[in-house]
Amino acid sequence: MCGTARSGCIAGVIEIENVSKRRGRVTVLDGVSFVARPGRVTGFIGPNGAGKSSTLRILLGLDHAQEGRALVDGSPFTALRRPLTCVGAVLDGSGAHRSRTGRAHLRWVAASNGLSRRRVEEVIELAGLESAANKRVRGYSLGMGRRLGLAAALLGDPGVLVLDEPFNGLDAGGVRWVRELVRTRARAGGTVLLSSHLMSELAEIVDDVVVISGGRIAARGTLDTVTGEHGSLEDAYFALTSS
Amino acid sequence: MRLVWVELCKLLRLPSARAGVALGVLCAPAIAAVSAPSERSAAVDVAFLELTFGVIGAILLGVVAVSSEYRDDGEDSASTRQIVASLTAVPSRMRFLAAKAAALSLTVATTAMLATVIMLTMLAGTGEDLGPGVVGRGVGLIVYWVLTALIAFGITLLTRNGVVPLVVLLLNSSVISFTYLLSRVVPAANYFPDLAGPHMFLRRSPTGVEIGPVTGGLVMLGWTVVLLAVGAFRFQRSDA
Repeated sequence: MCGTARSGCIAGVIEIENVSKRRGRVTVLDGVSFVARPGRVTGFIGPNGAGKSSTLRILLGLDHAQEGRALVDGSPFTALRRPLTCVGAVLDGSGAHRSRTGRAHLRWVAASNGLSRRRVEEVIELAGLESAANKRVRGYSLGMGRRLGLAAALLGDPGVLVLDEPFNGLDAGGVRWVRELVRTRARAGGTVLLSSHLMSELAEIVDDVVVISGGRIAARGTLDTVTGEHGSLEDAYFALTSS
Repeated sequence: MRLVWVELCKLLRLPSARAGVALGVLCAPAIAAVSAPSERSAAVDVAFLELTFGVIGAILLGVVAVSSEYRDDGEDSASTRQIVASLTAVPSRMRFLAAKAAALSLTVATTAMLATVIMLTMLAGTGEDLGPGVVGRGVGLIVYWVLTALIAFGITLLTRNGVVPLVVLLLNSSVISFTYLLSRVVPAANYFPDLAGPHMFLRRSPTGVEIGPVTGGLVMLGWTVVLLAVGAFRFQRSDA
């Protein structure tokens, strides 16, 4: 086992293997399996409540699955000692406490993984947060919160990006920035797994698609195979998730 | 050590935690300034009794250390639950929790030490005799504050929301002590942590039941360990 006490990812393969989760009597996920590969953008799509966020939370060790495994390069995320150098994640927003400044938030996140303050300044610039960095997060717009979350995810320059609904709340400039970021990362050999319900945004940037509906995988494959004879990703999505 | 430092920075940058430190340091001297000197007890005993109330600062720190992780400002806010950021940065929950408890203990111990030193210096300045064993009593007080903060920490791990533990614990240690009232009826209530613990530094028992300083400390430690263990178990097992 090489997965404990190591930093960085070697390949950056995300494997979700037969994951099932129940909350009380409600089955949230039922045998969910898929793989997100390096050098590709994998779009994880489905209606609200289909299980996208739950799957990503299980991948990051925030929620526990009753069955199955979620692995990054063969080990669970929770076994990583400096996870930010391997996986950068943005789940529901920035994760910053309202009375902290954006810069203070990034500084503690960086320090927890032994990353430098210089890197904090770099990601502030990268995310376009220069003018907001010294303001308290409670005064941020939703879009600025998103940018702050992404800045934190990029701190460790990770090979894997996991983004839950990254376009929510972003303005046009933000959407464009995320789109380019995601493409650039994948082109450089990184793994990008992103969930969304915005088909038009996704169709332009994804290589692979995983469709989830009612906690089950409805389809998975390359953009072309999933789109198939449906004509567009959007048509395929509605055909696959309405049944 | 790195994680303890990170948790210290996280805690001490919160306005409510700073308020906890200020309360802890200033509470006892403030009470001493407004209360009339008692003729029936030695001044140093009164000073330690007043220092007991400063524990509300420790309670605030213990609660806020956990509740700040779970604060959620709703969907329209840029600020979301910090626990998600914390556990994606430090996925080992027990390492995270241990670092947090260590940072809390350090903060509270320093606060308690400052409060004790200020109080006793004020007292010595008036020419009072601090009496034998004052250092031991001071240490006992610091231990009492730290264990109280850890109990608040453990309870908040169970509730996640800070309001209930804050109201119950603060009321109990300031306005009206439920455990004290109970101890008038049921003698076993003297072994509640907030009643057993002060025997570490109070010479005369407020309830009339005598418990030695070491026994009092051990009883309180037992409560702390159990509540921390239950809180940590819940934190480890449940979804963040």
